[in-house]
Amino acid sequence: MKELFQYVPGQSLLHRLNPVTKLILTIMICAAAFITSSVFFLLGLLAVDLAIGLIAGVARKTLGILRGLMKIAVFLFVLQVLLSRQGTPVFWIITDRGLLTAATVVLRLVVVCMPLALVLAVTRVSDLSNALVQVLHVPYKYAFTLTTAIRFIPQFLEEMSDIMEAQTARGIAFDQARGLKKLGMMLPLCAPLLISSVRRTDQTAAAAEIRGFSLRTSASAFRRYPFHLEDALVLGFCVLLIAASILL
Amino acid sequence: MIQLDQVSFAYPSQGPTVRDLSFHIRKGEFVALLGANGAGKTTTVRLIDGLIRPTSGRVLIGGADTAGSSVSQRARRVGFLFQNPDRQICKNTVREEILFGLNAVRAEEGPEKLAARTDRVLADFGFTGDEEPFSLSRGQRQRVALASILAAEPEVLILDEPTTGLDYQECCHIMDRIRRMNREQQVTVIMVCHDMEVVLDYVDRALVMAGGRLLADGPVRQIFRDAALMERASILPPQMIDLSLRLDLPGADSPETMADAILAAKGGKPA
Repeated sequence: MKELFQYVPGQSLLHRLNPVTKLILTIMICAAAFITSSVFFLLGLLAVDLAIGLIAGVARKTLGILRGLMKIAVFLFVLQVLLSRQGTPVFWIITDRGLLTAATVVLRLVVVCMPLALVLAVTRVSDLSNALVQVLHVPYKYAFTLTTAIRFIPQFLEEMSDIMEAQTARGIAFDQARGLKKLGMMLPLCAPLLISSVRRTDQTAAAAEIRGFSLRTSASAFRRYPFHLEDALVLGFCVLLIAASILL
Repeated sequence: MIQLDQVSFAYPSQGPTVRDLSFHIRKGEFVALLGANGAGKTTTVRLIDGLIRPTSGRVLIGGADTAGSSVSQRARRVGFLFQNPDRQICKNTVREEILFGLNAVRAEEGPEKLAARTDRVLADFGFTGDEEPFSLSRGQRQRVALASILAAEPEVLILDEPTTGLDYQECCHIMDRIRRMNREQQVTVIMVCHDMEVVLDYVDRALVMAGGRLLADGPVRQIFRDAALMERASILPPQMIDLSLRLDLPGADSPETMADAILAAKGGKPA
């Protein structure tokens, strides 16, 4: 889980793309997933997600993300199938419409969640923030907020893991509990996590101020983010994707 | 009390962090693990407590292999004080914090006995019990964490850089309390520490590590006097030892013994 949002260095086509292009590709895949109601088109989008992972050279990570999402997907699928009453019953209380709706919802969830994690796997968070400021002229304050939130996720997960380890060492049976019981045991630990998070945020804010945070503009970035032919091709693919999602 | 037999450990996607570690720590010993950053000290104490499992070899505590029980089950016998007390503290008052730990490891004693235990520890550490842990200073929070562990009266106490970030007085408070428990109750203490002055003042035996291997094992003063070993382990010996070596005054490892040794060298009478 900690590695989910971590950058994987590489020289693939996806790595070389402009960070803004990658962001647009992500948003367009998500948009296409919400526009379409075809299960087959959603399967096609899932294939696009997997192809992105393969081209980027992070196939193992892609399968890891898929595996993680499958747990939630199975739960959602069962819930949706049991709750849906529309359509013709095919078995017990399960209807054909229920199965179709459940498959659509679950596929949509998987298709939407995967690209964001994949983009973060092939883009440095600092490049993403700099490109947002330089190309899209997003105020640095907002770009920094977004990228800091992403950067803090693995740190918080690590912090929680360390807190749980410290509690296990004093006899709290995290190493024996599972599921809801473990979740219940984690609740008292929110206090140390919250306090360490606030402390870390304060320290980050102070460090940013010392380094001239408020002086940064779109002209401050050292690196430039020009668009190349491959960016144009990917953007063209995005247009085709949206058009197909409307037509199919 | 603690025995490591040919223990090796490697983190995933990394080379071995500790290799072929073998040593034995007897009951009531006060032992320090010394070495530069990355020498494998913290990994070794985590292996001893079972927070990580050896890739090969075995760790025995009181004759029992740690693979046969969970960390939380062992917590009654083995206390672990981390460098950062904030990972341990999770309650709103010091009293609740101490009771939280006690309830996990000594619940069978019943609420009255646990309350009495808590009162004893609070008095011992000079807390009223109503203090809010997160409002206390770093040193006081470390004392809260230590109080919470000592309340369970463990047989083994593992300390991972317990004095980092503390001022001299706070450091002495913590270390004096640990030494008292070591001397009076024969608690076995294993400490990872980068402050060699603290090691010289409190520890009996030192294990020196470098590159995941054990370089030396012996009485702390003897270890510090081995200049070649200190060089290999990238450790600077305590100032008093360094001075006595430079002045060639063997045995002069405290201000008092140094004064005596200088007087003796000048032909004067020791104080």
